[in-house]
Amino acid sequence: MYGGGNTFEGIKTDSVALEDPIKLAEFEARIARGEKIEPTDWMPALYRKQLIRMIEQHAHSEIIGALPEGTWITRAPGFKRKLSLMAKVQDEVGHGQLLYSAAETLGKSREEMIQDLISGKSKYSNIFNYPAFTWADSCFISWLVDAGAIVNQLANAKGSYGPYCRALDRICAEESFHLKYGHHCVIYLAAGTQKQRDMFQEALNRWWPPMMHFFGPSDKISVHTEVLMKWKVKMGSNDDMRNQFLDMYVPKIWELGFTIPDPNLKKNTETGRWEYTEPDWEEFKRVINGDGPCNKERLEVRRIAEERGRWVREALKSAKSKYVTPLA
Amino acid sequence: MKSLDPRVNRLPVIGQPGQILPKAPLDQFGTFEVFVQPKEGKPFQHEGIVHAPNLEMAFVLAKEAFTRRFTCVSLYVTDTRNVYVSPMTDGTVNAYEFVNEIPTQSGDKTSYEIYHLLKRGKQHQHVGTVQAVTPQEAMSEARKIFKNDKVVYNIWAIRTSDIRFTNPEEKELWLTLPEKKFRDASDYKGGDKLKEFLEKAK
Amino acid sequence: MDELALKELLYKMADDLLILGHRNSEWTGFGPLLEEDIAFSSMAQDKIGQSYALYSILHTLGEREPDTVAFTRNGNQFHNSIFVELPNGEYDFSLIRHFLYDTAEAFRYEMLSASSYQPLAELSRKIRAELRYHTLHANTWMKQLGSATEESIGRLQKSLDYAIPFALGMFEASPYEKELITTGVFGGEQVLQERWMKKVEEIISQTSLHVPDWKLIQPVFGGREGKHSEFLQPLLDEMSEVFRIDPSAEW
Repeated sequence: MYGGGNTFEGIKTDSVALEDPIKLAEFEARIARGEKIEPTDWMPALYRKQLIRMIEQHAHSEIIGALPEGTWITRAPGFKRKLSLMAKVQDEVGHGQLLYSAAETLGKSREEMIQDLISGKSKYSNIFNYPAFTWADSCFISWLVDAGAIVNQLANAKGSYGPYCRALDRICAEESFHLKYGHHCVIYLAAGTQKQRDMFQEALNRWWPPMMHFFGPSDKISVHTEVLMKWKVKMGSNDDMRNQFLDMYVPKIWELGFTIPDPNLKKNTETGRWEYTEPDWEEFKRVINGDGPCNKERLEVRRIAEERGRWVREALKSAKSKYVTPLA
Repeated sequence: MKSLDPRVNRLPVIGQPGQILPKAPLDQFGTFEVFVQPKEGKPFQHEGIVHAPNLEMAFVLAKEAFTRRFTCVSLYVTDTRNVYVSPMTDGTVNAYEFVNEIPTQSGDKTSYEIYHLLKRGKQHQHVGTVQAVTPQEAMSEARKIFKNDKVVYNIWAIRTSDIRFTNPEEKELWLTLPEKKFRDASDYKGGDKLKEFLEKAK
Repeated sequence: MDELALKELLYKMADDLLILGHRNSEWTGFGPLLEEDIAFSSMAQDKIGQSYALYSILHTLGEREPDTVAFTRNGNQFHNSIFVELPNGEYDFSLIRHFLYDTAEAFRYEMLSASSYQPLAELSRKIRAELRYHTLHANTWMKQLGSATEESIGRLQKSLDYAIPFALGMFEASPYEKELITTGVFGGEQVLQERWMKKVEEIISQTSLHVPDWKLIQPVFGGREGKHSEFLQPLLDEMSEVFRIDPSAEW
């Protein structure tokens, strides 16, 4: 669910110059004619590296994303919400599983990916480093954070790597109820009591800045990713994705009578682009590097979950087990 | 740990925060390929993998990982190591061009299930069963029987006895799947409530 | 058909499913393996869905709406067995409870599939179909983990010893046992318990665990009469926390 704002720092394209030019040309031709790359194909080292990083980050985002919404599973109000939220959070774990599997086809083991998450070495979507204080917070996440993720996912589903595309196809199909559920929850809060409306407005005020960070730093301060766009690893600029999200969802938020805490937010009718107060990218950097309200808790919860389950996995392991890279 | 999540507050204290113990090899086990039949009469299709300690557990876990949603009437799994693969081709090259026709092998024949990938980026689909002594012979038989004008990019062969199928009495595992509406987008019709709200707001 | 007898039966079954489903949902996102996390959560959803279906039948019999019944009653108004309200503990206890509970439920809903009360018979056939997976899952885990390492066997045995007295509380006799049997609504807790004990022994005999001597066990009763442990009320308070902000509101 939660791919987005992937960090592409430190891309050194010099390694591309060292690749076999004929193989590279064939590889790029295949991508250009819209054919997917499969695990046994030749691929540049940079392609493999950046894809592992991107898919892995996406997988971690799903697993960590399950936590702020999971906060409200045991307190969901009523049967319908209870069942829906359980199914939704379960899907997040499921999407993590699907995405790790896709990354595994590129040669990184799931053990290593899990360790890199818990140790803080690998990143995940920054928005999950914020706390879900109320039921309305969980509704914000279910609707708008999901909406943001879907903008990214639909774009990435047209990318070049077969296993990632297959995972995204499945994820997008399962997501269809998530977005509707989230919107449904918020409509009911909007149409409900004053207390319910206030709860959501207050949540929206708190979550809006992280939501503006969601698609990653603005293009003008972002790392150059042209080669990744050529290789259909990155499918759109951060600003383009952000603009698409604003275009689709700001009207829906305003339609429900809620205000967005950015007085400069408006659509430029001439350019068709949304204008807004430039988000605080220093804050984004600070939080994604460990200094957010929930970073420590998120990783600690995952660390405990892994340790708690260690005896179970140890016990089930047998002498006959062996690991080979998955096929597809 | 002090958290907003009451479940997190109930978590046991294990080790120290930041104390990352190394993972044992095969902590996440090996993998099994999962195949799903969406409706009676449709072919089984590859859907992905599960990590599991053995074949039976793989079947149990695959059922929820891959068939908790949409439609399903049957499921099976096999160890990833049991999948014999052809080269992957591209453009308009048929992978069967790289499968050698070999003479009939001596020995006991057993059945192999054959799968085709018809487009890069899609999933392998079951096309039929062949009899062979070795996986190479299974591929060769598949070429004789299944090769036609349609381009196939990749072929898989799996010995039938390596597969954990769904038993007939287990088909009711998916009996109530169509009724779990709370996982369907169509169950969330906010339209009327939204309309009511917009009317009031005027 | 005595409505009181039927309602008492439906309430206790619905309450068991709701409370256990709620407990099992606490594992979502925290499971020992991603695939198992997904499976355990599915089964918890099934149970909550089944409880909702039972409360819906109660609603057709004049009881209040499922949300009201589930989210506003106090602990002493619940008829679940104490077994299901106990905290999750570690995965060994949760698996043992899953095994003991679902083994009983499979028989219960098998028996109820032939109930003279049609709506319950129809629902029971569906629940029984869902339980096929729950028991397949539980039996597979018990057989594998229960024969694996010293640690897994030790943990499961300890949890089994702890759980069995509470598990027997599932079969606490209702004041309407005779009526339910003679009217054909339900074959009764005694028959159910006997079938359950046999099955539990059968599965456990395929592991390195052992079942304690049934004759020496003192069942923990009380849940069916609203007499609960200290664990139920906090569970209910948590479950209804948001609902109670405004019970008349629509969420």
